[in-house]
Amino acid sequence: MTTQGLRRLSVGQRLFVLAVLAFTVGPFAPLLIQSFAFRWAWPDLMPSVWWFEQRQISPFPLAWDYVLSPTSQVLEATINTVGIGVAVMVVCLIICLPAARVLARGHFRGKRRLEFVFSLPLLVPEAAIGIALLMIFIGLGISGTYPGVIAVHLIPTVPYMLRMLTSVYQGLDAGYEDCGRVLGANEWQVLTRITLPLLLPGVLAGALFTFLVSTNLFLLTFFIGQGKIVTLPTLLFSQISGGAMGATAAGIALIASIPGLILLVLSDRLIREEAFALGIGDT
Amino acid sequence: MQNLKKMGWSAALLTALLSAGSTHAMSDDEFRNEFLAGSMAWSEVESRAQEEGTVNFYYWGGSDIINLWIDQVAKPALAERGVTLNPVRISATKDTVDVIIAEIASGKGSGEGSVDMVWVNGENFFTLKQQGALWGSFAHKLPNSANFEWDETDPRSLLNLRDFGTPTEAMEMPWSGEQYVCAVNRAHVTQSETPATFADLKAYLEQNPGKFTYVKPPHYLGNTFVQSVLYAHNPEGSGADPFQNSLEDLGVERLATLITPGFEYLKELDPLLLGGPQGNPRYPESSSELDNLFLNSEVHFNCKFGLYGVHTGLITGTYPERAEEMIFPKGNMIKNKNYLAVPLNSPNPAAALVAINYFSSVEAQASMMAQAGMPAGVDMWTLSAADQARITEAAPPHYGVTQAELDANIAPDTNASLVDVIEGTWLEVIERGSNKPIKQVVADVVAGLN
Amino acid sequence: MTTSHRYSKTRTTFGLWQLIQLAPALLVVVGLFGGALALALLQSLGFAPWFGINEFPNPNYFLALWSEPDFWRSLWLTLYYGLASTVVGLVISVPLALTFERRFRGSKTLLALTRLPLMIPYTVGIALALLMLGNGGILSRLAAGLGLITDPGEFPRVLQTHWGWGVIAVYVWKQVPFMTLALLAVLMGIGQGTREAARILGASQVQVFWRITLPQLMPGVVSASLICFAFNVGAFEAPFILGGGHPETLPVLAWRYFNDANYTYQLQGMAVIVSLILVSGSILVGYLAIVRRFERVRGKAP
Repeated sequence: MTTQGLRRLSVGQRLFVLAVLAFTVGPFAPLLIQSFAFRWAWPDLMPSVWWFEQRQISPFPLAWDYVLSPTSQVLEATINTVGIGVAVMVVCLIICLPAARVLARGHFRGKRRLEFVFSLPLLVPEAAIGIALLMIFIGLGISGTYPGVIAVHLIPTVPYMLRMLTSVYQGLDAGYEDCGRVLGANEWQVLTRITLPLLLPGVLAGALFTFLVSTNLFLLTFFIGQGKIVTLPTLLFSQISGGAMGATAAGIALIASIPGLILLVLSDRLIREEAFALGIGDT
Repeated sequence: MQNLKKMGWSAALLTALLSAGSTHAMSDDEFRNEFLAGSMAWSEVESRAQEEGTVNFYYWGGSDIINLWIDQVAKPALAERGVTLNPVRISATKDTVDVIIAEIASGKGSGEGSVDMVWVNGENFFTLKQQGALWGSFAHKLPNSANFEWDETDPRSLLNLRDFGTPTEAMEMPWSGEQYVCAVNRAHVTQSETPATFADLKAYLEQNPGKFTYVKPPHYLGNTFVQSVLYAHNPEGSGADPFQNSLEDLGVERLATLITPGFEYLKELDPLLLGGPQGNPRYPESSSELDNLFLNSEVHFNCKFGLYGVHTGLITGTYPERAEEMIFPKGNMIKNKNYLAVPLNSPNPAAALVAINYFSSVEAQASMMAQAGMPAGVDMWTLSAADQARITEAAPPHYGVTQAELDANIAPDTNASLVDVIEGTWLEVIERGSNKPIKQVVADVVAGLN
Repeated sequence: MTTSHRYSKTRTTFGLWQLIQLAPALLVVVGLFGGALALALLQSLGFAPWFGINEFPNPNYFLALWSEPDFWRSLWLTLYYGLASTVVGLVISVPLALTFERRFRGSKTLLALTRLPLMIPYTVGIALALLMLGNGGILSRLAAGLGLITDPGEFPRVLQTHWGWGVIAVYVWKQVPFMTLALLAVLMGIGQGTREAARILGASQVQVFWRITLPQLMPGVVSASLICFAFNVGAFEAPFILGGGHPETLPVLAWRYFNDANYTYQLQGMAVIVSLILVSGSILVGYLAIVRRFERVRGKAP
């Protein structure tokens, strides 16, 4: 590790970063404009009629007035998205903490094969399992219900969480726990005073990542929710599935981006880059 | 340990959810039999509906103003009748049809389904009926059935008795009546350039290549465009008449002869459509995509079911400022109705009946016309003078044409059994660009259907 | 993963207690996920007693599917979208990760900004593509503003067309941050020592990149591209909205079959799904095998 510290970018690198930013973040500017537009047609670079110009004479709520009205289902979808996200995060943690401990500490035959099995859901296309799962869930009577959607969200999240927590457990020296036991701590105290605090950064990263995956999931929610459970991604899908964008769709797209934005700020504050990448950086 | 507890908890929740059954005095089957037999007073249905409490209404939720009407008008009106309307917005009615059929297939019969009421027509109704997934012949037993013509001997009753040629048998209630109307952008097309016939349209496109397209079949909007082309090119000169027969009655040979000139025209039109000049004709997949092309001047015309489509487009900002309606194709503007149906396994059938009765009232029809731009489905001649005036006053304005002109150019829909064949022929001849004779294609498609 | 477990000195036996701890995770992965796979396989071979169909094992659903030229067109289209976007994503992500490896003024904020798409649902990306890339979209309007085109029809068509770049643009938009993050993690793990040493010993920048940086990055490249490829091949919403219609990618095709009112088509749909799993599975396995061999040749793998 030499020359750590700030360095200057070459002109090429600057242009490159700028181009990538224009590609990833740039399109949000027109999206914002679209959400305030009433009529915005080719080749105008700005709307010919804005929403607030039309607002007074319109017989019904337009653009943001519609998005923020109960009819748009935005509030319901936001509550569902966040609620399902939190539930998935909690269930996923409860499922994965003990399993990750076994995978990290245990040393048994077939462990690598087991690890491979656990990463399979990441490698099999979602669409492939979604339809078959819908059939199973209809049979079980949990299609179109919250437990059904939460259960299906576990499939893509458990593998990530397991990988993250396993690396965290591996980084955690069992010696500390043994030390605590030798010094007379009971299992509960070992868990709450030693294991959990040491695990916390990784657990936090895993939990946030799980929440993120769950709030972004469209396909499995769409299949299993059967239109009865509306989340922000499925709501937006139904707005744009016709292949066109209007002010309402733009407004909903912006709202669907808010949980991610908050998470982006949070993850920047709470998590070190390394912890966040633990689950995905290695084969 | 915690996880085991959690599982136990969710298992308990699951059992609770599964065991939540009906608690009415009369079973769903008994109610159905009694109502359909006509031995039940409407007040009994109403009180049962209040007991049921909720009606789950599945409908295409792609229109903001229809959604608003449902929430702001229909919901409070039904709440007054003691029924909570739960609108479930779907992106394709077919998905709901599948849910219903899948539920019935997995043994969820009477009262055990999840859909109470669904907005359907055409092929989706045909499927539900064919699969025996409908609740029964209820429509003419509702109080507001008086607003519709049910007399078979009156030809005007056809739209209530037949849905794309499939007998409705009162298993669905007409809701709204639509007409296939094309809009024109006056910023690009002058009055004298406006086509009235398909030959005019082709001539216009030769001057302005790429400025027209139609929604891609098998979308019903695309099918309808193709049907009107076939009517206009009917070599027997009898327009829509022969297309009212079923495939069985008409015969494959005759159908092929009837549709050959129309398909020749569609083939000639193909390279003149949007993207055609660039060698890749583009057919949009939905009406909102076509609206967007129209707004952006990518095309100069927009054909869809939308008697008040221009008005709706102008007040929502989805149409160009100078959009107007036009009479096209002359004498072959297809008119049909769309309906509300109750599935066999509806968990709240009485509430669904009360809701449907409300939707077909003059009160609801007038307000949905005024607010949501949905044409009324009731038959004017059955109404009192006061009610007629109410509906007429509620109608949104037309742009560039009059209601009388629109009424003078209507044509009926095509029989559902022919629609499948026409769809398949379009896919083969236009989409895949097959050079086989149309007679051969039709024979292949019919063979493939069986 | 070749982690040495320095703390577990004895080989622990796999007992009941371990099994209980693993059980919930196994229930999800083996029960739900495995169950779905098994059901898909059974159905595609003609086992669907709930429809009154039980002709297991009946290979006809596969044979009928595979004999249709449209299926193969769909398959190529699916693989094209999956591969092209993974490759384009890597081509952008590798230099991006290298740029962000060392801190520079504003690097933390800029990195956070590039990470934005990772946090945002795919459907938002599709909405952005509709807004930007269509013939009536923002890019087309900019071109018109610059006088390059006079009619929206003249703008190259990237949406709602086959082999279109619209679908790929959305995949790349979403996956560049994911890949960059994975690669950064690897870069941080290996440090810059070897590369600096090579530079001091006189290697050119190009040599360093091909001989040292890229091989060191391989684990990250492999895992990121595997996950992204699997995702792209199975993605539904982007090709559904931005694709060119018939012939469609396999997930969309499967959905259409599944959605057909004639429910016997569901078995055909399952055959599509199983074919998709087989194809993507064999590509992933083949890819891993090539990587392993490559590592062995270089003397890196055990």
